[in-house]
Amino acid sequence: MITAENLTKVYGKRTALDHVSFEVPEGEIFGFVGPNGAGKTTTLRILAALLEPSGGHASIGGVDVAKQPDLVHSRLGYMPDFFGVYDQLTVAEYLDFYAACYRQPKQRRTKVVAELLELIGLTERRDQLVDTLSRGLKQRLCLARALVHDPVVLLLDEPASGLDPRARVDMREILKELRRMGKTIIISSHILPELTELCTMIGIIDHGRMRATGSVQEVVKQLSAGRRLRIAVVGDREAAVEVLKTLAAVRDIDNANGAIEATYEGDESTAAEILQALTAGGIKVSGFSQVDGGLEEAFMRATSDEVG
Amino acid sequence: MSRVATLFWNPIVAKEYRSRMRTWKSPLAMMVYILLIGGIGFLVFSLLTYSNSSGVIGGSNYGQILFSVLVGFQVILLTFVTPALTAGAISSERERQTLDLLFVTRIAPFSIIWGKLLASMSFVFLLLILSVPIFSLVFLFGGIELDQVAYAFLVTLVTALTFGALGIAFSTWLRRSLVATVVSYVAAFVLIVGTLAFGLFFPTDIDPNAKKAPAPPAITYLSPVIPLMWIAGDGQLLQSYGVRYPNSAFLNGVSGPGTICQTTVGGGTTCSSSGPIGPIVSTNAFVQIAQPGGAIPSGLFEGWQYWQATIVMQLAICLCALLAGAFLLPPVRRLPWRRRRTGAEPIPEVSS
Repeated sequence: MITAENLTKVYGKRTALDHVSFEVPEGEIFGFVGPNGAGKTTTLRILAALLEPSGGHASIGGVDVAKQPDLVHSRLGYMPDFFGVYDQLTVAEYLDFYAACYRQPKQRRTKVVAELLELIGLTERRDQLVDTLSRGLKQRLCLARALVHDPVVLLLDEPASGLDPRARVDMREILKELRRMGKTIIISSHILPELTELCTMIGIIDHGRMRATGSVQEVVKQLSAGRRLRIAVVGDREAAVEVLKTLAAVRDIDNANGAIEATYEGDESTAAEILQALTAGGIKVSGFSQVDGGLEEAFMRATSDEVG
Repeated sequence: MSRVATLFWNPIVAKEYRSRMRTWKSPLAMMVYILLIGGIGFLVFSLLTYSNSSGVIGGSNYGQILFSVLVGFQVILLTFVTPALTAGAISSERERQTLDLLFVTRIAPFSIIWGKLLASMSFVFLLLILSVPIFSLVFLFGGIELDQVAYAFLVTLVTALTFGALGIAFSTWLRRSLVATVVSYVAAFVLIVGTLAFGLFFPTDIDPNAKKAPAPPAITYLSPVIPLMWIAGDGQLLQSYGVRYPNSAFLNGVSGPGTICQTTVGGGTTCSSSGPIGPIVSTNAFVQIAQPGGAIPSGLFEGWQYWQATIVMQLAICLCALLAGAFLLPPVRRLPWRRRRTGAEPIPEVSS
């Protein structure tokens, strides 16, 4: 549904995007993660035909974004990382205005506005001035604005940034509802936990380069250089460390909170072999578990290399 | 909706009307406008009444004087009001970060520009309508016909429209509201005063053998001052404006007194209307200069009324400004001669 192929954007001497490629199939929710300034907004703006790439192609539903922006805009809902509200307009008028800009007929606009207000829970505030809404409500209204023409694709740039926990949960519920409606969504964020629960796919971008894309498990796998074991022993810890040092799969060994943490290369069976070697060496193992760094750790590892 | 209705009613217009008329600024602006125009009208009215009692001015041209002052003052006021309305139209959307949101809708860049202009000009039109009752005072005195008022309002409206379109174009181009407003005022000043000054500094040289009377350079018709003076019946004051006499002396055919012209150091010619009656050096077309009415005697717009030439030239500027604005507005400008790079081609090497 959404394809980015070698997207490149160069500003003077700075390369904001460097051959970024990814693909989001229909109905998927793609979490686009990266630190501030990594190139998330640039990518989304190119997908929304608001920015011309220096190189590469982007298409939405098979339509080239650069060649037929009007057609793309009719299929796409874009929510930028700022509110963009007008003063002196009420909530309902605000949505009606954008629906009119999408050339929706009058009768349909009335219906759509009522439905969207219901979806975002602002029906009771339909006559309140947009300016007077709280940050969380404005954010919800902006999401509703991106939906006025019932787009099949949604590009959401930092939809939950600056929201309090309650508003963030509300936003997540709305996004889940959209997922149930079958929309294909790209959500960008610099905060990872926002996305792990919601997304079916994830892409990690840093310094304009795509570090990893795929399902959450795949990304963790792609980015994990090694796995980590937490081993608790009864008695002589040094003996256990000596045994571990003899094993080829084990890389680093640390003492952590009264236990040993060891990084190793390999899969589940390698872990079993390590346990076997320890017990065979006469070590009394009282605890043996995988330290699951998960996506958070993978993300930190992927993005920390060149920072600074 | 029909095409005509779409032309005059797009979502931008509706939104602008709503937000403009909901603030206290609009009624305040209207009130101040009426007070200023009414105040000037009352002042002139009082002066005329006073001078009547003292017998300074003849009664027959009271209406004309009042009309001239009101028309001139109205143009000056709108010169201040219109750029203030339009110069922030696009740049404020940019500053408020709402412009991108419009670009992702299906509304065309020209519709955005046109909608903004239409909304601002509707307010200007409202101000003009509000001033009609004050202008009706003129008819108490007589001397001014209804068609003169209509032409004067038309010229004023088109002048405001041009300033508005220029304001929008600058607002699109310069991105910041303050800069766009300042440049719009400068442009308005150039259009009103600069073009008149052009006529003074670079007047038309008169060919003594020409069969037609000379006319000021066409660019001077851009200034609304010339057509408004002709409409108000003050055109006689413009007789020797914008034309230059290469002869050392000539006869101004109708008005009687001769004019002495001298060549200045810079090569130009200055003429003074006082002095002895000069010899008749020519009996050709000079006599036509002082013909009544506002018809342009020669040049590009020969035979046109001054106000017609002004309106046509200003509308041309207005159209150019709108097209330029619509071209500059979109974030991605697609020019047919520009080729896009594909991803397969190498990008320039950059230093990290």
